[in-house]
Amino acid sequence: MKILILNCGSSSIKYQLIDPEKQFALARGNVARIGMSGAVLTHRRHDGDEVKLTGEILDHMAAIEYVLAILLSPNHGVLEDRSQISAIGHRVVHGGEQFSRSVLITPEVINMIRECIELAPLHNPHNLRGINACLKLLPGVPQVAVFDTAFHSRMPAHAYIYGIPYILYKRYGIRRYGFHGTSHYYVSRQAYKLLAKPKEECKVITCHLGNGCSIAAVKHGISVDTSMGFTPLEGLVMGTRSGDIDPSVILHIMGREEIGLSEANNLLNKHSGLIGISGESSDMRDILKEMEKGNHRATLAFELFCYRLKKYICSYIGVMEGADAIVFTGGIGENAAEIREKSCENLEFMGIKIDKALNNQKRGIEAEISASDSRVKLFIIPTNEELVIAIDTMRIIQGEQL
Amino acid sequence: MDEQKPFGLHDLEAISAIEKEVELEEFNLIAIIGAGTMGQGIAQAAAAKGIEVVLVEKDRPSLKRAMTNLNDTLDREIERWAMTESDKRAILARIEGTTNLEEVEKCDLIISAISEDLNAKKELFSRLDTICPPETIYITNTSTLSVTELANTTQREDKFIGLHFLNPVPKVPLVEVVRGLKTSDHTFVKIKKFAEKLDKTAVEVFEYPGYVTTRVIIAMLNEAMYILMEGVASADGIDQAMKLGFNFPIGPLALADQMGLDEVMAWMESLFRDLGDLKYRPCPLLRKLVRAGHLGVKTRRGFFVYDESGKRIR
Repeated sequence: MKILILNCGSSSIKYQLIDPEKQFALARGNVARIGMSGAVLTHRRHDGDEVKLTGEILDHMAAIEYVLAILLSPNHGVLEDRSQISAIGHRVVHGGEQFSRSVLITPEVINMIRECIELAPLHNPHNLRGINACLKLLPGVPQVAVFDTAFHSRMPAHAYIYGIPYILYKRYGIRRYGFHGTSHYYVSRQAYKLLAKPKEECKVITCHLGNGCSIAAVKHGISVDTSMGFTPLEGLVMGTRSGDIDPSVILHIMGREEIGLSEANNLLNKHSGLIGISGESSDMRDILKEMEKGNHRATLAFELFCYRLKKYICSYIGVMEGADAIVFTGGIGENAAEIREKSCENLEFMGIKIDKALNNQKRGIEAEISASDSRVKLFIIPTNEELVIAIDTMRIIQGEQL
Repeated sequence: MDEQKPFGLHDLEAISAIEKEVELEEFNLIAIIGAGTMGQGIAQAAAAKGIEVVLVEKDRPSLKRAMTNLNDTLDREIERWAMTESDKRAILARIEGTTNLEEVEKCDLIISAISEDLNAKKELFSRLDTICPPETIYITNTSTLSVTELANTTQREDKFIGLHFLNPVPKVPLVEVVRGLKTSDHTFVKIKKFAEKLDKTAVEVFEYPGYVTTRVIIAMLNEAMYILMEGVASADGIDQAMKLGFNFPIGPLALADQMGLDEVMAWMESLFRDLGDLKYRPCPLLRKLVRAGHLGVKTRRGFFVYDESGKRIR
């Protein structure tokens, strides 16, 4: 079985063609600069063959047409005929309160995703564009939506309600939704396997540290709390986002700097986090390099990042009344040994003890990095959201109830 | 050629049918002729939305000045957190400056933002007709000149339309779309979509002196000046009253200073001439300030006094 996975953004589309039974990606790639001059399609086949095309790609429909053409191409492709695509799995950012699991896309589902636009104005419209384009280009091929918010949808109310008038939750759906759900779901499942215990007995803390960073407390297979909230701005310090902040700080700044809503939004989402603190870069690799050179603001950014992460890890141990494992994933989580070490430092009293040598040695692969006498296991688990989407899609088209 | 019916009597059903049809119509490469304040502003707003811009100026020094100004404007935007360095680089990369008018041939849309001189604009548009393919749409960025009269100088009156942007273009979320007598519904719908692509709300207006914004604001500015001249309240008092009383972000006299008192007077004279109504007769106090060369923020003196960065000091 071959399933096309699409992740449609405002001006880009990422895709993979996956065989979910063999858990194998036949090809992957992306289209960038859609709607601008000089759009670029980069395509890589499983055997390493790579091709880059530049051209005018006006919209998502044209972009997906290009993707199909390259998948069918005799030289670079992996398909002989469109009919070999059994289904399409879409990553959809916001499922609101309506979607707690992946679903087969029907006209009704499309309407419900549209209703979530107000909650994710930057993402859901593009996800919908991808879905509509596939309806036209691959009519009759089943489509499945997999939501970034779904895994967190079973949080208890005391974790998702904010301490503001309850009527605002009722009126505008203001609550914690959480993001990166597919990634937290995937790595927590992998952790159960490594722990060799059924999920009903596991308490796992999953740290997704990439461009955006979030952490989740996964108790007995359910995400009971997560650090991102109504939007992906809350929680950990990120590359360009502030994470947690006293809300009156921003009101105060708006007054002092005489800025409006859109500037304030930019300030928190684009000028803050690692780049805002260090003044150097939003990329953790650059921060680590600057730190070595003795740049004290880069060091501060690093320390702040780890401190906030440690605070969340410890609070989630409290939330779950214990933990069996802590998982690090995402670009930073999988590669930055310094971050993992620092955020677990001096927590032996809580049963957390990292094996420094192992930690330094492992990067980007599934590995245990805790000391043998650590009660809480520490794992690196590379995430694979596309595979989750492919498997969910396969199960849904096979009529399984998720 | 589908001619419009005057004064809003056009067929709404036909327009909504056209809207569906041109849903995917995209303007990805546009030309802006004239790189003054308005030209720069439109270029910035368009480039920020991923549109490639050919910005045409009459000579090298003017073009260089415009690009330097644009660079400074973007730096100020970064300072006030409105964008990032990489946003700035992306915007500048999409703006290609040139002094060669022939280069606009490849553009889907031509916007004239040269000074409001009827003859100069007429000459420009008739020259454009010899350069651009017949399907290219012409836009005149205008607040006073007649769209119909300018359209007349071209062979494509149906594909000619006015846009009235307000300064500063990237920040004001409004644009008035000005239909000339022969502007087609098709052109109107396309340009409305273009305005939406720039994140502007388009208000449809029919050719008439001052449209909505200029006509209303000019009358108000004039009234504020008469109030000052008649000794009813101080300049500061007038501005405070309007700001706090009606939640205006800026008082009328400070606004006039920002717009430039010579410009304000020119608008008043043109409205007074075209509409003949006394309420547009420029206040003698305004004439006096203009004669004295106190033109507002740009000369650091108008109704108030400003420092070199344009910050009010008195």
